[in-house]
Amino acid sequence: MKKAVALVLMLLLGACLLSALSGIPQAEYRLLHGEAPARIVQHGMDDTGAVNLVTGVLFDYRSFDTLGESTVIFTAVAGIMMLFLPGQVPLAGKGLSSMAKRSVDLLLPFVLIVGLYVISHGHISPGGGFQGGTIWATLTILMCIVYGTQFESQFIEYDAKKTLESAAAVALLLVGAVALFAGYPFLSNLAAGFPGGTPGQLVSAGHIPWLNAAVGMKVAAGLSLIFFSMVKKKSGEG
Amino acid sequence: MRIVNGIAQNYFYFASMVIFLIGFHTMLTHSNLIKKILGMNIMETAVFLFVVSIGYVRGRAAPVVGGEAQQFVNPLPSALILTGLVVGVSLTAFALALIIKVYQYYGTVDADEIMQIRSEER
Repeated sequence: MKKAVALVLMLLLGACLLSALSGIPQAEYRLLHGEAPARIVQHGMDDTGAVNLVTGVLFDYRSFDTLGESTVIFTAVAGIMMLFLPGQVPLAGKGLSSMAKRSVDLLLPFVLIVGLYVISHGHISPGGGFQGGTIWATLTILMCIVYGTQFESQFIEYDAKKTLESAAAVALLLVGAVALFAGYPFLSNLAAGFPGGTPGQLVSAGHIPWLNAAVGMKVAAGLSLIFFSMVKKKSGEG
Repeated sequence: MRIVNGIAQNYFYFASMVIFLIGFHTMLTHSNLIKKILGMNIMETAVFLFVVSIGYVRGRAAPVVGGEAQQFVNPLPSALILTGLVVGVSLTAFALALIIKVYQYYGTVDADEIMQIRSEER
């Protein structure tokens, strides 16, 4: 009964979506409509100094939005840590075989470098703080699975990650506040006197690399905190 | 005929519609809370695909200036969806944390069983 109702509802929604679909203009007309995309494509590099226009939009035109986005992660991490209060011992996983451990040892520096590359080249090539931070967080999760939680919590302390995440959030705000002290709106980039450099160089695009580094730190610490909050258990049980 | 034409021309939109319906169906039919979250994630993915494909123009390059390409796709939807992805991840993580707590309290992640337990408690 329930499944039949669900199916009918699904088909109804499908019919509605399908009729809406046929009303959308054809592919050839989906060009750069509107003022904003045309402006970004034509002047984005001069406005932001970033060769990667998506990063330019994310950290310059819409940097306020990105600040809110990192606040969302911060809130999620805070909420999860509140649900799983500290004072609980880590789940003592033994980890995998020694072969898996050696493979991860070999892999470790490369994953670190890939993460660093993705974060530091966010304004030049596809990538950025969010993506690179996720790669770093993956590394800590991998260590936890392969070596067991006990080892991982000795390797990177819980409190250190907490401090790192908060410090990254503060760094994000401080970079934004620099423009404020120069007499420009919060989080403004080249207008506030951040050196633009030559677009395409590693050191260029004003505050975008700084924001990327802060966001990368924040995402890496935050996602790893989320994971380690969840794998812990109450000290009473087993 | 008009609808068939529309599908052929906008097959990205059609794919995102199908993925959305799969997620919708998963969310409605499964009483397991974790599967409901999975369904929500699938629906999210469909919306992301839809918005990103709005900005896609066939034959144009990714919006990174400096290469040989002179014409780019619309970078705005991609930037918006990058925000959406992060919000989606946070949402999923928090929902899963809540489900762990629900499991610790009720001993099950099945929505129907939880309803039954709650009605018996009353």
